[in-house]
This record gives sequence, structure tokens and C-alpha cells, in this order.
Amino acid sequence: MLVLNLIEAITDALDVEMGLDDSIVVFGEDVGFEGGVFRATKGLQKKYGEKRCFDTVLAEASIIGSGIGMAINGLKPVVELQFSGFMFPGYNQIVTHAARMRNRSRGAYTVPMVIRMPYGAGVRALEHHSESLEVLFAHIAGLKVVIPSTPYDAKGLMIAAIRDPDPVIFLEPKRIYRAFKQEVPEDDYVIPIGKAKILKEGNDLTVVSWGAMVRDVQNAIAIIEKEGFSIEHIDLRTISPIDRETIIESVKKTGRFVVVHEAAQSFGPGAELITIVNEGAFLYLEAPPTRIASPDIIVPLPKGEHHYLVNKNTIKDELEKVLKY
Amino acid sequence: MFNVKFADIGEGIHEGVVFKMHAIEGDKIEESEVLFSVETDKVTADITSPVSGEILKVNAKEGDEIFVGDTIIVIEDGSSEILSNMQMDGEETPSNTPMKAEGVEAESEKEEGGASVVGEIEVSSELIKSSDESHCEILNASTKKILATPVARKLAKDLGVDIQKLKGSGPAGRIMKADIHAASKEMSEVAKIEKTKEPVRKASIVKSNEEVIRIPMSMIRKAISENMVKSKFTIPHTVVMDEVDVTDLVAFRDGAKEMLLEEGHKLTYLSLIIKGVTIALKKHEILNSSLDEEKQEIVIKKFVNIGIAVDAPQGLMVPVIKRTDHLSVLEIAFAIKDLSSRAQEKKLKLDEIKGSTFTVTNYGAFGASFGVPIINHPDAAVLGIGLIVKKPVVVADEIVIRHMLPLSMSFDHRIVDGADAGRFMQTLKKLLMNTNLLLLN
Repeated sequence: MLVLNLIEAITDALDVEMGLDDSIVVFGEDVGFEGGVFRATKGLQKKYGEKRCFDTVLAEASIIGSGIGMAINGLKPVVELQFSGFMFPGYNQIVTHAARMRNRSRGAYTVPMVIRMPYGAGVRALEHHSESLEVLFAHIAGLKVVIPSTPYDAKGLMIAAIRDPDPVIFLEPKRIYRAFKQEVPEDDYVIPIGKAKILKEGNDLTVVSWGAMVRDVQNAIAIIEKEGFSIEHIDLRTISPIDRETIIESVKKTGRFVVVHEAAQSFGPGAELITIVNEGAFLYLEAPPTRIASPDIIVPLPKGEHHYLVNKNTIKDELEKVLKY
Repeated sequence: MFNVKFADIGEGIHEGVVFKMHAIEGDKIEESEVLFSVETDKVTADITSPVSGEILKVNAKEGDEIFVGDTIIVIEDGSSEILSNMQMDGEETPSNTPMKAEGVEAESEKEEGGASVVGEIEVSSELIKSSDESHCEILNASTKKILATPVARKLAKDLGVDIQKLKGSGPAGRIMKADIHAASKEMSEVAKIEKTKEPVRKASIVKSNEEVIRIPMSMIRKAISENMVKSKFTIPHTVVMDEVDVTDLVAFRDGAKEMLLEEGHKLTYLSLIIKGVTIALKKHEILNSSLDEEKQEIVIKKFVNIGIAVDAPQGLMVPVIKRTDHLSVLEIAFAIKDLSSRAQEKKLKLDEIKGSTFTVTNYGAFGASFGVPIINHPDAAVLGIGLIVKKPVVVADEIVIRHMLPLSMSFDHRIVDGADAGRFMQTLKKLLMNTNLLLLN
């Protein structure tokens, strides 16, 4: 067993897979020589050479577009965007080509590409560095969207994403890149895309979260369970396709549902999850399905950022309201 | 923790010299207090503390050359994150210093700790729980939830209907609004009947006139009625009857009566019989028990509290003589007198009519011989005492005249068998026939 933090687990996943499959290429801005802005690809160029791990020009459309071309032609590109807020120049390539190639070619071509991007707030960064944009991808047919919350899941999901025959958007919660470590197997292993994980079973309330919020929710649950409540906590892990079954079965048992996410509230992922709960467990509900999310504003600059993100105390207060509804 | 860095205090300042250092490690500092003075090529400025707290570290002394971005002072301000008055990449922060202490290559860690062109990332070596695909803290699933729409749940709440107890008539057993309305109607009808019970009786066929007088039941009458119904309907009564030759006892009482009267005591048969009952109960504890219907347990009591049926003006009262197993015959006699007279005057306290373990009813006072008394719920038995009369009985093949006491005992056949009752009666008889035995116990 290795003991790795989340970003080291991603590096390890890339390393293990590159060793197993020569068709994997890794590239992006500063990805080669520097090892990436957060050092996710550290050491890979040295180990696998400049043809398999290299720097690109500062142009997201070009990074993704060339990745699509490589993927159609037999390579398995894993590309890095420095921050999810920088993806917009490449968004056109993702939506109009990567997501559609299988359909457009009637199944003749697929795009086995992984697009990695750090996302999320809480790191006191500048503009365009703190967004949670998972719904912009999850809304697009043909894309899979994955967000790990632990080093173990990060490696297993990354390997699953690389081996997936279709484009996978791999969003990395940079706030917890180095916040903790976990045991990670040395060999390759796969965590299936599309499968949520029940982190903790309980009877009174189902809470769904993902990414960096998982830890905050765990802390909130630790507080509220001292009051005698029993909470079921689910890490969604895959934003698209959503594991409907796990969520619905859980809510049928608990009768209460809360989703906690970092993305802005309106038209956010919580709206979709609440709809799933209404569709699948409506007759079991004892309180309104509720979302705890960030306000509908542009992420503030560092000075005001602590007003923006929910934390364990605000989460705990909202959970309590639902439990006592 | 707060890192006070040397920020650009003027236009395009890159370096300066510490002119005066006010901060001392270990000192407390308030927000806005001067930490140090710096002299640059353009100005001399006082740098004030942006936070309150304790000064952990001072990295520069007077005369030192400092550069924009250097961490000059570290203040413990109680915040859990590491804050700073400015951000720089590639800097050394206290957050990655501990990693150096662990012996990791300093250069690369320094790079990675703040490994981004922007922002600050929390760095920790905290090890979280291992994980695998099967891992989950298993907790047994709770009760099955009922099916109901939110509007039905609200309706049930508003009408005070416990939705969990309803049986749904909808698809897959869903509780429909109609089910809740029906349950609510039923509840209100039950309530109505309970409310109108008395008026219904009053309004029945025969009205008060000269031939029939209708009297509303008093509270006591109602209580007696309820208790009797409860006892008779829950306890399967079985009765055993016998006659005891109490000639000895009569002789003893006649002899002692005069003597005791002089001292102000009144010796009654009842007190002597209660003494006998108490001794017999200690020997046959099953008669001194009760049935806990809920838990399905027989509760045997190690103390004897005898309830005595008293004919009071307001109705039957059953005051209780507590701990007769600790009382002498005279004390029992006194207690009987005290309790029955206060029963007549309605002066009994609540705890004096509660807690009997066995009851005695003396209908002999009205000349009756045998009866079928109703058990004082939840006791196991009740003893009915008839009138002592002289009767011709056969003793050693000769007809003689003896004083005979008729006894009738009803017992709860759920916990007491006929043989238990028979043995109890035998013991009691033996005690009442032999006064010495009764008094020596």
C-alpha cells in the first residue's frame, strides 16, 4: 500500500496506466517539464519521454481539439486544463465534437479522452479559479463527469476514466489536493463510473455530496449525530450518469434528503438530484428535499471567500431544520 | 495562524530595511499595534498588526534587509487556516515547514506546497480512513416507511391522525386522503360516544317520575363500577368455601375482651382473622401476588397489605392496613377501627386506599354466611368472612355444638390453582382453630 494525498493518487494513476498502455498521452499547459500547475504530472515526462508527456501552447481549444483528433485516431489522451474556469475556449470542442463523435459517426468513432481540470473554491485564488461548473458538462449528452473525494477514489476513478471508450470530464477538488492522505493500492484498480458510494449508513436522513464538500459534510454529521440523529451519507462520485438507484433506495429508507454542493444554487446539480428523489421516492418523503449550495453570485475574491462557501456549521444548521421539519 | 508579510507599501517597492522591531516572540499583540518600522528608499513606515494574537515568530531583526513577500512575523490568531496579508507563489509557509521536518526533500516540497500560480492549498499529512468498494459502516435498516404523499402527511398531521398506524387503501398500500378522513371521522365518533354516554342513559325509556327515581352515578359509584367490571372481566374468579370450628377463638376472645376493654382496646374477630390471613399468606406467597399482564410476569410480594371492605355512606371503600406482617393483633384492631371510622367520614388519604396485596370482606356483619366476593384488582384473592354461628357438628362420632365460621375465598385462577387455594385455606383453618398457634406466630 502507498500512502498518498489526492493529487499524488492522480499522478500514480497516470503513471500506472501509462506503464500498462503505450497509447496513453498526457499533455497540457506546463504539464511536461514542470509537471503541471499543481504537479499532477510530475515526473511523467522524465519517465515516459517528451512524446508521451508534453507541454502545449496556452490555448485550451487547441489542447482539447488536438486531443479529440488523437483519440479518434487510436491514442488515449489525458489532457489537463489548469483550472476549470479556463475551459471556456475549449468548451466548444468538448460540446460540439468530443461529446458528439460517437453519435455523429454512428458508432464508428469514439473519443476515449480524459479532460482533467482542478475546480472549486476555498483556496483564496483570483478570478476564474474557483468555479464549480459540473453542470455545464453534466447537461451535455455524451459526456461523463467524475469527481473524486479521496485519494483511493481518485486513482480508481482516474483509471476507469482512462479506460472508458468515451470522453470523461475529470474534475479535481483542488481544495483537498493535499489536505489529507490515504492508503492507496500500488497496482491498478477500477472504481466504476456511475456508482455512488454509501460512506455511512443511517436511518433519519440521506445526505449526498461530492468532492471537497464530502469532508465538510462528514464534520457536520459528526456534530449532529451527537444529538441522537442517524444520518446516511452518500458520496456521489459520478455527476453524470447519476447513480439514481442508490439515492432513491436510501431516501426510501430515511424519508429525508439533503444535497450539499459547492456549485451555485440555481440550476445547479442539487436541482437534478431533488428531481430524482421526487420521481423515485416521493411517497416516502417526510420533509422537503433540500439543497445546501453556494449563493448565486460570482465567487468572491480571497477577502470575502469565507462568506461564500458553506461550512460544517451552516451545513449542520440546515440538516437540523430538515430533521426537525 | 497569520503570516505578516512585507507587502509593497508604496509604488514599486521591492526591498527595505527593518528600522525598528517592536514585536517580541511570545508577546501578545492587538490589531493595529505597530509590529515594526521599515525604511525603504522612498518612505519610512510603521507596519501594524492586521490581527490580534500571540507572536509566534519574528524572522527579522533591526538592520535586516527584507524583501516584499518575506514573512516577517507569524501570529497565532486562533484561526484554523493559515492566512496572510498577501499571497505569493513558491513561498515558504508554515504549512509546508512541518513536511521538511519529516525529512522530505526540502526543495520539491517547497515547490509543491504552494504549487500553483495562485491561491493557497491546505497541506496536511493527516491520514484518513482506508477505503475499498465494500467498505461501509453497516447499520440495520429501520422500520419500513409508510407510503403517503406530502399532502396526505400534512392532512394527517392537521387532523391529529397517526399516519404510521393507518392501513392504506391506495396503490401498493399507499395511504390516501380518504383513509385519513375515515380514521379522523372514526376518532371523532368514538370521542362523541364517550362524551354522550351519560346523556344517552338519562334519555332512555323510563324518565324519573314518582315510581322511578333516577340518580346520576357519583364519582365513587363510577369508580366502584369500573373496578368491579375490570376485575370480573379480566380475572377468572374461582371460589373455595369452607367452615372453621372457631370455638376456641370465641372462648379466647370472650375472655380477653373484658380485660382489654379496661385498657381501651376493642378486640374484634376481624383483627384475629386478619392476623391468621397474614401468617397464611407468608406461608403461601402465591396468594399474595399479582399478575403483570403487560409483561406476563407473576409479581410475588414479600410484604402483606390487607385491604378491608368498609361500608361507607358514599359506597364501598377499601382502606388498606399496611404491613400487617409487622403488626400485632391489637395494632391490627386499632388500624381497622381507625381506617373504617375515617372511611365513614371521607377522611382517608389516597395512599390509604391503595396498595393492597390481599383483601378481606366481612359480610358476616350483615348475617350472611357464604358469598362470592369480587377480587380487588390486581390482587390474587379476596377472603369473604361470614357470621360465626353455633352449629351442631360431628366431633368424635358425637353431635356437639360448636362455633362455626364460614369462609369464602375468590382467587385468580390464572396464577393460583385450586390446590394452592386449598392449602392456604387449610393453613388458615388450622390457625383459627388453634388460638395459641395464631398468637404465637
